[in-house]
Amino acid sequence: MDEARRSALNAWLSAAAGARVEIGAASLLSGGAIQQNWAISVTRNGIAEEWVLRTDNAATLAVSLSRTEEYALLVAAFAAGVTVPEPLFCCEDASITGAPFFVMRRVCGTATAFRLAKQAAAEGGDAALVRHAGREMARIHSIVPPREDLAFLGAPPADAGVAFIRAMRARLDAAGTPRPVLEWGLSALERHPLAPRPSVLCHNDFRTGNLMVQDHAITAVLDWEFAAWGDPHADLGWLCAPCWRFGNLALEAGGLGPRDALLEGYGPAADPSRLPFWELAASIRWAVIAADQGARHLSGQERGLELALTAHIIPELELDIIGQVEALDAGSA
Amino acid sequence: MLEAPDAADLLATARESLLRKLLPALPAHLHYEARMAANAIAIASRAVSADPAPVAARLALLADDAASFAAAIRAGEFAPGTPRHAEAAVLLRDMARLRCSVSAPRALRDVGPGSVLPGE
Repeated sequence: MDEARRSALNAWLSAAAGARVEIGAASLLSGGAIQQNWAISVTRNGIAEEWVLRTDNAATLAVSLSRTEEYALLVAAFAAGVTVPEPLFCCEDASITGAPFFVMRRVCGTATAFRLAKQAAAEGGDAALVRHAGREMARIHSIVPPREDLAFLGAPPADAGVAFIRAMRARLDAAGTPRPVLEWGLSALERHPLAPRPSVLCHNDFRTGNLMVQDHAITAVLDWEFAAWGDPHADLGWLCAPCWRFGNLALEAGGLGPRDALLEGYGPAADPSRLPFWELAASIRWAVIAADQGARHLSGQERGLELALTAHIIPELELDIIGQVEALDAGSA
Repeated sequence: MLEAPDAADLLATARESLLRKLLPALPAHLHYEARMAANAIAIASRAVSADPAPVAARLALLADDAASFAAAIRAGEFAPGTPRHAEAAVLLRDMARLRCSVSAPRALRDVGPGSVLPGE
């Protein structure tokens, strides 16, 4: 962070806080493919605080929400009692740092998926942690439409399952690469429709890697940029999909603990019979996202090893999908 | 016609050099990038020796190409209860297994019974 940017930020943050804010140390945290996260140590009227500043990378996925929209979600989740970093300030003015940004309080813990999965496996599964994950998810799902402050999410789908199939087919068509196995999975979803139910706020990336954890407890649910109205079981299915188990296949909930403990923490509103549909949907969705990331490399839009290798996750997801389709058709999922 | 060592040998040698000599000398913040580079070389090495021809020949018995196969699946042509459902299911599994043998061979250890890849 250069001096000019730092002093512009100091001035903007001081005005927003109504107090004298000065940035001390600033370091780039290992962030996602889409955003940059800066850990900043500040003083507010001379008192030390630890914050995170979140802003966009140069190339942003068209399908993700803007920083200001993500901030609105964080405010709504914080108010609903979800364990998220306390939202502090949001700046829509791109002239301060080059892109809109928001600031939240820094929380302790680790979000490194492989480390958390390894730790959970060593203990034979962390039921307490996944129960906590279930409670957090239920709190997120207590946010229901209509919401003036979340108007940017648009109208809730009449049937989230049907909307999912339609959206994935549209993205496959737009990408132009034939994907017979993904079509196989989508056709299976179409054969096994779920009765529509009222929409709730879905996080849509609630998985190991986006959960900050310390001492068997979640200290923050991170990365809200894919949130949307939908079927709450989409979140449960995403966390339980085989692709998010980080090698711990037997620990169905994110490679951290048993699916039953997750459902227990979530409460009676969870309907396990809807999970096979949404776990298959999760494998398909991750494959479609991975294909789009690979396409960013292939098109020359943003060349790099990470995006190139992400495309090579797809074959493994295809094996998952084939197994999940078989189980769904056999009624044994 | 081409000089030896061939592509497979060069890729394997480059990967070993990257992991054994370069990686330990790199600062920690570049280790992830170096490991990704090693992974990319490994995938490329496996791609050099993969033979998609037998699976492609079976695909040709079901559809003109991958695009028309995908479109037919979407249209429900190979759904359970249709005459060629089982044939399509086995082919899809073998396609995915072939693709995994290049991109993610570890994934092949954990899957249930399927037909066997050529050369496996």
